[in-house]
Amino acid sequence: MKPDDATLARLMALAQGGDGVAYRALLDACRLWLRRYFERRVLPAGIDDLVQETLVSLHKKRASFDPARPFLPWLAAIARYRWVDHLRLVYRAAETALPPDCAVESDEEAVMARISLGRMLALLPEGQSSAIRLVKIEGLSISEASARCGQSEPLVKVNIHRGLKRLAALIESE
Amino acid sequence: MNDPLIDLLVADLHPVRPVSPRAAAALVLGATLASVLAVALLFGLRADVMTGAPDPIVVLRSGTLLLLGCASLIAVMGAARPGVGHVATGWKWALAAAALFPLTSLLLSVRGQQWPMAELTSESGPWCLGISASGGILVGTALTLWLKRGAPTSPARAGWLVGLAAGAFGTFSYNLHCPSETVHYIGIWYSAAVVLCAAAGRVIVPRLIRW
Repeated sequence: MKPDDATLARLMALAQGGDGVAYRALLDACRLWLRRYFERRVLPAGIDDLVQETLVSLHKKRASFDPARPFLPWLAAIARYRWVDHLRLVYRAAETALPPDCAVESDEEAVMARISLGRMLALLPEGQSSAIRLVKIEGLSISEASARCGQSEPLVKVNIHRGLKRLAALIESE
Repeated sequence: MNDPLIDLLVADLHPVRPVSPRAAAALVLGATLASVLAVALLFGLRADVMTGAPDPIVVLRSGTLLLLGCASLIAVMGAARPGVGHVATGWKWALAAAALFPLTSLLLSVRGQQWPMAELTSESGPWCLGISASGGILVGTALTLWLKRGAPTSPARAGWLVGLAAGAFGTFSYNLHCPSETVHYIGIWYSAAVVLCAAAGRVIVPRLIRW
């Protein structure tokens, strides 16, 4: 059974007090949650690295969690921060295609819809979100992305630059 | 099978105190009081402030600066403890209210077809800027040190906000000494001090709090 938000918040509060058993349970649950969270938003080969980076950030910044608040919006903010950072770094990987559909099965769909990465991308203008999706997430080259979305190559670059800047500002937006 | 990274993180676990907004408020209050004390000792406070019956313009500008400082401080507190859907926006309204001073000054100048040269070239203007910024440095340093324990997801925004709070509280300290009572002076020099601190916050703070 997957732990709900209240359970995760309780585990985190215990971990802040130094409870190693609770912390291990929390990290195991977060690892699975993060894998689902990043699916389809990162090239498959990059998911493990991103999950690990986010877990390390969770560890370093665990004092910033307020036990009186829900846990998942906090974890999602940390994950989004790492994801935007990851998109800035990743340019082109060997893999160029994502699995056709790796639907996320979750009983927390309402929460996930609110805090998902797709929702962040949807807040960008179409030109920026498609440039980021094609180059940063699907791994196409600038010229391939240009041919695919009909934007000139300089425009694809500008849209990626502006889009990433805007994404960074949208991390805590719903 | 255990994940080696999780083993490492669990092994490194030690108790932490959750980041406390009250600590930030206490730090900022302490830094502001220290700044007011320094202004009082070095330059003296206004006579009407000392007698507890300040001029209405002093009440107005003090209130505006305190509102701006508190609203920015609340936003910084929120930035330290991230969460999707938890963005404080009250500081924007406080900033808009504070902008009424330079806006009024500009409107008066345009309507009177005369620029406020006396205030623009005032000898005390650069002092106002320097004293306000010094108070701002004190507040900004305290707030940045506190923010380093948090997890601001937008370091640039957090930098602006720290600078804005620092500028507002620093200028508040100076305003208790400032003999000027004209809207032009407040609109020009107080605004310049707040903008200077905010810009400094934007440039300096992000590199100190990035994670």
